Amino acid sequence: MEKTVKSERQTPVRFFAKLRAGHGIQTMATLIVLLLMCSLFAALSDRFLTISNFQNVMRNAAPLIIASCGMTAVMIARGLDLSVGSVLAAASVLAAFLAVAGVPLYGAFAVGILFGAAVGLVNGVIIATLSVSPIIVTLGMLNIARGIAYLITPSAILVGLPRDWSGLGTSKLVGLPLPIIIAALVALAFHVFLAFSKMGKRIYAIGGNEEAARLSGINVTRTLMVLYVLCGATAALAGIVLASRVGAGDPNVGIGFELQVIAAVIIGGTSLSGGEGRIVGTIIGALIISVLGNGLNLAGVEPFWQWVAQGIVLIAAIIVDRQVQDGVNRARR
Amino acid sequence: MHPDPTPEPPPVPTVVVRNLSKSFPGVKALSEIDFDVNAGEVHCLIGENGAGKSTLVKILAGVYAPDAGEIDLNGTAAAFGSPLEAQDAGIACIFQEMNVVDGLSAAENIVLGDEPSRFGLFDKKRACSAARALLDEIGFLELDETRLCKSLSPAEKQAVMIAKALRQNAQIIIMDEPTSPLEEVEVRKLFDVVSRLKSSGKGIVYVSHKMREIDELGDRITVFKDGAKVATLSRGQASSEDLVRLMVGRQLDEMFPPKDRAPGEKILSVTGLTGPAISHVSFELRRGEILGVAGLVGSGRTELLRSIFGADPVWQGDVVVDGRRLQQNSISAAITAGIALVPEERRSQGIVPILSVLENASLVWDQFPQHRSNSKTQSDAVRDTTRLLNVKTPSLGQRIDKLSGGNQQKVVLSKWLLARTNVMLLDEPTRGIDVGAKREIYQIIDALAKEGLAVMLVSSEMPELLGLADRIVVMNSGAIVGELPGTATEEEIIALSMLHAASDADGRADQQ
Repeated sequence: MEKTVKSERQTPVRFFAKLRAGHGIQTMATLIVLLLMCSLFAALSDRFLTISNFQNVMRNAAPLIIASCGMTAVMIARGLDLSVGSVLAAASVLAAFLAVAGVPLYGAFAVGILFGAAVGLVNGVIIATLSVSPIIVTLGMLNIARGIAYLITPSAILVGLPRDWSGLGTSKLVGLPLPIIIAALVALAFHVFLAFSKMGKRIYAIGGNEEAARLSGINVTRTLMVLYVLCGATAALAGIVLASRVGAGDPNVGIGFELQVIAAVIIGGTSLSGGEGRIVGTIIGALIISVLGNGLNLAGVEPFWQWVAQGIVLIAAIIVDRQVQDGVNRARR
Repeated sequence: MHPDPTPEPPPVPTVVVRNLSKSFPGVKALSEIDFDVNAGEVHCLIGENGAGKSTLVKILAGVYAPDAGEIDLNGTAAAFGSPLEAQDAGIACIFQEMNVVDGLSAAENIVLGDEPSRFGLFDKKRACSAARALLDEIGFLELDETRLCKSLSPAEKQAVMIAKALRQNAQIIIMDEPTSPLEEVEVRKLFDVVSRLKSSGKGIVYVSHKMREIDELGDRITVFKDGAKVATLSRGQASSEDLVRLMVGRQLDEMFPPKDRAPGEKILSVTGLTGPAISHVSFELRRGEILGVAGLVGSGRTELLRSIFGADPVWQGDVVVDGRRLQQNSISAAITAGIALVPEERRSQGIVPILSVLENASLVWDQFPQHRSNSKTQSDAVRDTTRLLNVKTPSLGQRIDKLSGGNQQKVVLSKWLLARTNVMLLDEPTRGIDVGAKREIYQIIDALAKEGLAVMLVSSEMPELLGLADRIVVMNSGAIVGELPGTATEEEIIALSMLHAASDADGRADQQ
């Protein structure tokens, strides 16, 4: 009875307890996978390990990281959002359309992000208040948002954008490409949100056991709505960063993006069954996806094979997730 | 070793287990266990949670492989690599969870895995007649084999699983706490099934916490403690008190604290509360008082607690706490007013299994605007409360599902104590908890009442209600049908709860 509550005061013990709980080890493992991939591609192509390519990878990874942050929060709460790719397209096309029509640039960006948040709100309201499966709701929204993107710009790619449209995607701040800085800020904000805020705690509780969370007085409906709004907004921000870098509003952009995002989140250690996941892991997951695309490109692999590779990586990540869960369940008794 | 008073030669054991050991990382779950089951006997297995009963059961069922030791089945050595192999060898396990497919009929469940076929297609006729014969054999004559399993009661689902085991030609049937989901009437029926199985020559391993069942069923009783076998006794060799002492080393009469509480002023009053499953419920509750709520499963006990707490819809009626009328259908309003609910299903409603003790204990604490997450105040408060309730955990960072059921429940109680609770609604607070931890929970409930909390206690265990409650209200079909003093007898309570049971059953039949 005296050994009831000991060792709580010693921080190292807590640290190792966390390690044993698997967080640290899992993050370590994904980091090692990333490094192995890097060394493999470095061996395959001498253009891989250059500073300019590194910046290229990071710039490409930025939209993925941004959208994956919102998705991580949703998936920790045991939700899912398949509409992110279409929301990315619709928001960027909407912003481009407004910019062409003469709306001030940052006003256009803001409207784009608000549009993403609104789509997320619709997702969240339907999922949380009517308790419908998020897969079906957001699958429907995937189609709706893509349709909206084409409706805004029937004549394919929008041209005639103002000159400073590309500023967000191509300029640098303190020597770093702006998209990377934006991604870092979003990731930091989400890390603080998930790891330290009260709502963050609630998200883990909802994902771990929604009924227990509800019976503990947590407003599950409102929390879920907030998460889908955040997910829609980050997808829209990712779209704007991407459109700014590419210098166009393209309704065809982001097809299959949801798969990359979900793959990044799952590779990063967020469980499909909810209740666990960290932004640090998600960032590594997003980098793995980006390095994979970049490395295969440099190695001269056909783009279509990259689709195959990404699909394989996603399935492999889910198998690993399952195995880890089973392992946890087996070790429990 | 086991004395047999009957003159005929001792029956040949069907399963003999020798020197069985099993370790898990950091725990010796079983050490050098000897155990056997004869054809045609009920061998009860008792012990506190963590004593090793479940581990032994799972080894016999092929879920775990033992580290050392041997299993003989009908005289030949056996080793089961999987539950399927154990099943093929004639060992069936009826676990607490109902492993039936809800979307299939009773008959389809019974033949599942070995379906009769005709021209390569499922032969429904033969499936139904086979299922019928098996259900008749165990005395479930009135259970329609074509009904979908999701419409069956827990007792009927259990019957389906037993029939399935018989169809697979099981010789040994292991039942792991089979009565915990059952009502009193259904328990009788299960006992009847057990004695039928016994007389048809099956060997039965019966795992239970409940002394009454062991008294009634056990031909032999094996007591486990801390992964080792303490004793195997024949029927009548030991009283219930002796068995409890063997299990925990304590006397049974120390189970409940003396009722020397003095109820204070009125804190909760419920008037005319009506919802989908309750109608016009009114009562009052004082500080320092424990109000027992009796009734059959489905009588609206759970729904009453959940309605007071705002978790189930309320159509009309008032809940007044400390003179203030509570906003309807709002859990957060109830919590703010100091109402707490410890729900019936700990694992699916009470805890967040993958989170830590600390996180679980501060789930409600975190909701208060003035409280800061991740603060030292938080961990100090949680540490003090869990220590007060004697939660046994290596650290507050431990995942809660690694703790025993009793300790999990103590964390759930801590969660509410941290929220400055006035009224504690307890729904089956000791379900699936071993005797030692039960006693601790009883002490805690008593201590809370003495501190001035008002407690409502829903329980299917009569001794628990009688041992703790100052008053007992009896529910039936969603209404309170009577009130009894804490000194009432079990018979009085049962009589009241069964009063309208017949008309209720008619009503249900009409609906279908």
